[in-house]
Amino acid sequence: MASSRPTEGTHFIAHKGTFRLFGLTLGDCIKFFFGGNAVVSVVVLALITIFLFREGAGFFGENRENLEVYRQAGLEYVDYIRTQQDDHTALTRYLSDLRVRQVNYLTQQKKLSLAAANAALAGFDTFADQYGDAVEPIRTLVSDLTEQATAIKEKFTVTEDRKTQRAQLLAAGQTEAAAKIETVPIDFVAELKPILGTLPAYREAAAEFSRRLNAVIATAPAMPEPALQARLERFKELNAEYLAGFPSVLRNLESWDFRAPVPASRAFTSFLFGHEWRTASFWQDWYGVIPLLVGSIMVSVVALVLAVPLGVGAAVYVNQIASPFEQRLIKPSIEFISAIPSVVLGFFGIAVLGQLLRALSQVPGLAWVPGFPYAERLNILTAGCLLAFIAVPTIFTLAEDALNNVPRAFTEASFALGATRLQTVVKIIVPASLSGIISAVLLGLGRVIGETMVVLLCAGNRIAIPDFTAGLAVITQPVHTMTGIIAQEMGEVVQGSIHYRALFMVGLVLFFLSLGINYVAQGIVRRYRISIG
Amino acid sequence: MVTSAPSLMETRPSASVRHPTVAAPATGAAVAPAGATLVDIDQLDFFYGALQALHGVTLGIENRKVTAFIGPSGCGKSTLLRCLNRMNDLIDGARVAKGMIKIRGIDIHRPDVDVIELRKRVGMVFQKSNPFPKSIHENITYGLKLQGQTNKARLDEVVETSLRGAALWDEVKDRLHTSGLGLSGGQQQRLCIARALAVEPEVILMDEPCSALDPVATAKIEELIQELRTRFTIVIVTHNMQQAARVSDKTAFFYLGKLIEYADTRTIFMNPAHAQTEAYVSGRFG
Repeated sequence: MASSRPTEGTHFIAHKGTFRLFGLTLGDCIKFFFGGNAVVSVVVLALITIFLFREGAGFFGENRENLEVYRQAGLEYVDYIRTQQDDHTALTRYLSDLRVRQVNYLTQQKKLSLAAANAALAGFDTFADQYGDAVEPIRTLVSDLTEQATAIKEKFTVTEDRKTQRAQLLAAGQTEAAAKIETVPIDFVAELKPILGTLPAYREAAAEFSRRLNAVIATAPAMPEPALQARLERFKELNAEYLAGFPSVLRNLESWDFRAPVPASRAFTSFLFGHEWRTASFWQDWYGVIPLLVGSIMVSVVALVLAVPLGVGAAVYVNQIASPFEQRLIKPSIEFISAIPSVVLGFFGIAVLGQLLRALSQVPGLAWVPGFPYAERLNILTAGCLLAFIAVPTIFTLAEDALNNVPRAFTEASFALGATRLQTVVKIIVPASLSGIISAVLLGLGRVIGETMVVLLCAGNRIAIPDFTAGLAVITQPVHTMTGIIAQEMGEVVQGSIHYRALFMVGLVLFFLSLGINYVAQGIVRRYRISIG
Repeated sequence: MVTSAPSLMETRPSASVRHPTVAAPATGAAVAPAGATLVDIDQLDFFYGALQALHGVTLGIENRKVTAFIGPSGCGKSTLLRCLNRMNDLIDGARVAKGMIKIRGIDIHRPDVDVIELRKRVGMVFQKSNPFPKSIHENITYGLKLQGQTNKARLDEVVETSLRGAALWDEVKDRLHTSGLGLSGGQQQRLCIARALAVEPEVILMDEPCSALDPVATAKIEELIQELRTRFTIVIVTHNMQQAARVSDKTAFFYLGKLIEYADTRTIFMNPAHAQTEAYVSGRFG
């Protein structure tokens, strides 16, 4: 017995295994192996987040510079006048819309032939043409100014490029070569003089423009129908509002100062609330996330509207009503959907679904559906349908889990009180699992909003806020999305450029959106567990 | 056997399903006096898939009496209880192979019997209290609302009578609209009893209603059963032999799916006819 004891005085229980690796026992090694794996995933997540923030953060500085150049080179000044011109263009579009309505009225209600209708509208056409041409003095001015401002910006860009080049040479130690590069600082005061000198010309042009508009508007012909007349009156109101805005444009121009600093917050707000995403433009680049955000949200909303009834309905059916055979058939089929690569779905969307939906929209009997008929094959609806298909397995699986978690005791109690299967499902099972179902829907939303390939292929990729005045028909318009724009543009941008950083910022917005959705979903799940007790 | 009772459980045109045909217990009681056989179980064989759970059970349950089913675990007493309102229909592969159960002379497995109507007439209280995750008020009105009752005054009235019937009214009258899950275990079980009372059944099945409760709550439930016996026919499954002795009028002892002995409770406990019964009630096995 004594020989089995390792050392004198040590009790056998106190004697631990002696195998050690780098001073660690086997137990320690196992512990560190698992701990290490956990740490690696946390570290990788942290690195990704830090990288996103680091690359994205530089955007604000560069965007501010971008906005400063916009001001200093006089682009902002020119844009005041250009906006005035664009607003006029919008009014002329209103007139052409009115013309279309008149033609429809004359051909459909009055049964005139198209030629006769056009002839009847000759007076209106003259009016509309004159209204359109009235802008001529302003248009000439804008195109002159555009050239001048572009030239200043060009000069500035060249100088900046040279500065960068010299800095690179200096950094490489080639002092002589660096000294050869001349940089002439731009004298903005002198450069801007010709632009600012056009102010009297603008005053004259604006006065002439407003005189012409007033003259033309007086000649507006009467409409053949009260509804159309009402539209014409509305047009006259809009025109009056437009003219009333002239003095404030003038005031903006008079008080404009290229030396006024651009507030730092503008770099931020012009991104977060900017309505334009325009890159590689000859005039001015804008990085506003709103059109992309709206696009992503619209597509996701359409997808959820379709996927929630399908996913939840299927879950209720499989969990509560289906026979075991149907369960064995339906469950794997729905779960199989998630195995389809999204690029294949996108391809299907372009080749089949888009065509099919458009053909469907052009069926005369379906013209009452909002937005039907439409011509754009790739739009919110097409992408939304496919994304719904992607979201269904997520929603189905999680909702089915939630339904499964409803204690059997509730079901039994309900049946014992004389409830039918349907009453039990509607009154007990679905309410008891509602939080679980809601979080399933939210996670489905997370899945949809992060989806890239389908929206890139099928959403139409027009970077503009869709026209919400169209009502529900808005879903037949093309959009671009946050995920789509990153996938599309990231490969082509210069690393470190403002465009590159702007894309990172879009990624960050997406990141926070997904984070928020997941957070809310998890919160709901937590509360749900407590409520069941 | 009272055969003149209207065949209440038969399927009727759906328009008339709602109220008038369901006789209140009072009416039923008028037809069948206390002590007459209300539920008649005849040579019942029951299977879970290939497993036979009940072997030729024959038993008559008397009107407005408390009948206790006792026996060791797995003896089939709960299975028999759940046969009485066809709750076993919900289990895949469960089936009655032979024999029949008649309530008021009508075989409850006849194809024209409306199982929904049956369950309204034969209420059930489960082993583990299972109030819905809804308010106390909603828990009790659930059954009536299913039947289409929307009159608020009537519902409030039923809530009060049911809660009083279950001796819970004074404890919860100020918080009728709080969750039923916020009550204590014993209160939850009484809420479940009140919920069963609300639809005015004739028979109340209780599947080990006190097994998850402490002695004080158990005493309250037993007291309640004593009160309810004057108005309802109660069948109770219990593992607690003292409880069976305290609350029941008649006791049935089951062993391995067979009914060994069925007699007045006093006889079963004092003077059982079978050696197995005596061994069980005296605590020598089981």
